[in-house]
Amino acid sequence: MKSSRTYLLLVVAFLVLSFGLAADLQPQFRELRWSRADGDVFAVLLGDSRKLFANEFYTKADAYYHSGFYPTIFDNNTAFKTAHMAEDTGAVHSNNHGEEESFMGPPIDWLEKFGRNFFPDRHTHLDEGGPADDLSGSDNVREILPWLKLSTDLDPQNVQNYTVTAYWLRQRMHKTDEAYQVLLEGLHANPGSCDILFELGRLYAESYHDTNRAENVWAAAARNWKPIKGDDDTAAANNFIYEKIATQLGEAERTADHRQSAIDWFEKAQSVSRTPAALQAQIDDLKRKLAGAAESAPPPGLKSQ
Amino acid sequence: MKNIIAVAGVVIKELYRRKDFYVLFIVTILICLVMASVNIFHDDKIVRYLKELCLLLVWISSLVIAVTTTARQIPAERENRTLLPLLAKPLTRTQLVLGKFLGCWVACGLTLLCFYLFFGLLAGTREHMWPVLNYFQAIMLHWFMLGIVVALTLLGSLVFAAPSSNSTICFVIIGGILLVGRHLDHVALTLPEPTRAISQAIYFAIPHLEFFDTRDLIVHNWPLIHWEFWGLAIVYALAYIGAFLTGACLVFRRKAVN
Amino acid sequence: MGTILKTDKLRVEYRSREMRQATKIALAGLDLEVHAGEVFGFLGPNGAGKTTTMNVLLGFVQPTSGVASLFGIDVRQPIARQRIGYLPELTYYYKFLTAEELLRFYAKIFGLTRSETDQRIDQLMKLVELEHARKRPIRSYSKGMQQRVGLAQALINNPDLLVLDEPTSGLDPVGRMKVREIIQRLKDEGKTVFFSSHELGEVETVCDRVAIINQGELKAIGRVNEIKKPHHANLEQAFLEIIGFQNSSTQPAP
Ligand SMILES: Nc1ncnc2c1ncn2[C@@H]1O[C@H](COP(=O)(O)OP(=O)(O)OP(=O)(O)O)[C@@H](O)[C@H]1O
Ligand SMILES: [Mg+2]
Repeated sequence: MKSSRTYLLLVVAFLVLSFGLAADLQPQFRELRWSRADGDVFAVLLGDSRKLFANEFYTKADAYYHSGFYPTIFDNNTAFKTAHMAEDTGAVHSNNHGEEESFMGPPIDWLEKFGRNFFPDRHTHLDEGGPADDLSGSDNVREILPWLKLSTDLDPQNVQNYTVTAYWLRQRMHKTDEAYQVLLEGLHANPGSCDILFELGRLYAESYHDTNRAENVWAAAARNWKPIKGDDDTAAANNFIYEKIATQLGEAERTADHRQSAIDWFEKAQSVSRTPAALQAQIDDLKRKLAGAAESAPPPGLKSQ
Repeated sequence: MKNIIAVAGVVIKELYRRKDFYVLFIVTILICLVMASVNIFHDDKIVRYLKELCLLLVWISSLVIAVTTTARQIPAERENRTLLPLLAKPLTRTQLVLGKFLGCWVACGLTLLCFYLFFGLLAGTREHMWPVLNYFQAIMLHWFMLGIVVALTLLGSLVFAAPSSNSTICFVIIGGILLVGRHLDHVALTLPEPTRAISQAIYFAIPHLEFFDTRDLIVHNWPLIHWEFWGLAIVYALAYIGAFLTGACLVFRRKAVN
Repeated sequence: MGTILKTDKLRVEYRSREMRQATKIALAGLDLEVHAGEVFGFLGPNGAGKTTTMNVLLGFVQPTSGVASLFGIDVRQPIARQRIGYLPELTYYYKFLTAEELLRFYAKIFGLTRSETDQRIDQLMKLVELEHARKRPIRSYSKGMQQRVGLAQALINNPDLLVLDEPTSGLDPVGRMKVREIIQRLKDEGKTVFFSSHELGEVETVCDRVAIINQGELKAIGRVNEIKKPHHANLEQAFLEIIGFQNSSTQPAP
């Protein structure tokens, strides 16, 4: 009896050890190109159901972003249709409508009212508000990273994972190199993804201050973009990313004083935008400058005189 | 009281002489240490996921220990027929039930202490925070929750003959309460009338174990629960413990033992 | 001489859980009387109702009708059990305890003080010859050793009445002799012993009176000699005749 327990314990210990090793070595394995399949433990273990888990972990990361609280399907979660952590990165446009502050609604009986004393039910973010209220710009957002990583590991085709992870790594944790790695991994799994390319361009521009490369990457992103017909969320998200890419390129052209191509980009952005009016001002401004320059600027020959 | 303590003493001895507890404890430690050693983005300050996982394991292990040890107490006495010499002594059946309850509950408390000590060390060395009061609140709530579980299982072990069916039923009930108990009233509102009244009755009758699940408060460093509500929760637990134990005594009193 | 143990028209029916099965009558109006200071043998074939009688006496089973009393107190009251020692049949004591811990646990329930307990455990361990094994877990005991632990726990409170259900089952001849000696010694100390047994030889040597039951009914009661006399035979043959077992090979020689 005693010895069989010992054996059981040993077996469990070995299992845990090997699982740990596997988890630890998995990245190295991935780099070994000759390793079989796409070398994914999860794919082998879980098959396609891993996407379900991935989604679960993605939601979990958002729950962490809300310092532990997250509305369940039973609560009013229209205020949480888009993960706030993703919305805040600017990677997606918001679908949220509904009251964020009292997303749970008033308690419907005394038991529920009593129960709310035992879990965090206030709407806070890891980098603002929060229980201690001294978290402005806090790097506590690091806590969402493990879940994002897990989610990417489980569902490498979900590009939003990479962009959100990279954003928080770069913006709040100042871990530019790690963010860069994440984006490269994402590109490897999703070649030519415009969301990832867009975020990569931002990284080049804002963190490495390499505007040339940024523009090249954005241009590649714009080339890779394909319109999706329809009225649904996918189409909207697809348009949203193109709007952002085109706007960035427009800004870049304007900075470089290429006004006509800047206008072109802005107009492309406008064509897919949900709020075309906001861009109109910029376009008008550019057009005015272009026209003014054509009128007032003397021809080169005259200028030299 | 002396008799109750004597019976409880045997239960506690059984727990630490049987090796199940050690197996669970060591497995929990190993899993947590492995998780702690996984490197995520070269950042060793990330700690909440680790705390959450560790607490989840602690919760599962504690429930497993509570239900399995309690479920086998009285059936084992019956099967090995030790119930006979025991009840032939000046020990009332009520004392036996109370003694078994106390033993299982204290045993659960001791295992909880071990688990939380390990958890506290793991979290503390990473976070450099030692929120003693938070832990106190959480451990006490957890322990009283286990009290309800132990009392429920004890009642079950007198109603259902086989310990395995009893523990399965208890696990299902406890899991159900922890997962959906909180939302039963919202669900009830969406149901047609007869089922609605039934769901609402169930909602008010079940012990709401999920109140005691304060893991998120520890994981996300939320401030203390108001002591007033904390105390009320303990009283709430005691009420259910009392109810289940009374039920167990009533069932046991009518039962022929042989 | 006072009556210590008395049953009056005791009737026990076991209602079976499953439907369609007949109610089992385990005891059908049993009248017994055991006097203070005697060793009383309780005999009967398998399934006769011996254990059931003891279960009623100890309050484990509620009689369907009739009453049973110990020391003049109805068995339904727990106080009736304060001064008795009970050895059940076929018991597997807590495997994870040592014999000493087990006895200590039972002593606590009887409210013995620490020094009383120590003294009592030393005596009993010597009596049942388990001194060498008292610190070993019961898991490692042989069947006979477990039976002796059972005897020791029955004696822990120095009881005035001992109820023993087949105390010698599972013991070797030496062990049986020891149990007989123990019973004899208890009798000399003025205790009352009520025990069931299938070992008629040992019953004959140690009992003052015996009762023979069959199918829940009392067939004979009295001194061993009184029971043997009408049958002109030893106790075993008398027993077989009383319970109505007919077999030519067991007929006594004329
Ligand atoms: N719990 C029970 N449910 C139904 N019937 C029972 C139960 N316990 C005992 N019986 C029946 O009651 C009768 C008397 O059983 P009891 O155990 O008293 O016999 P016994 O004289 O002790 O026999 P043995 O010498 O084999 O120990 C038997 O026919 C038995 O089948
Ligand atoms: Mg019997």
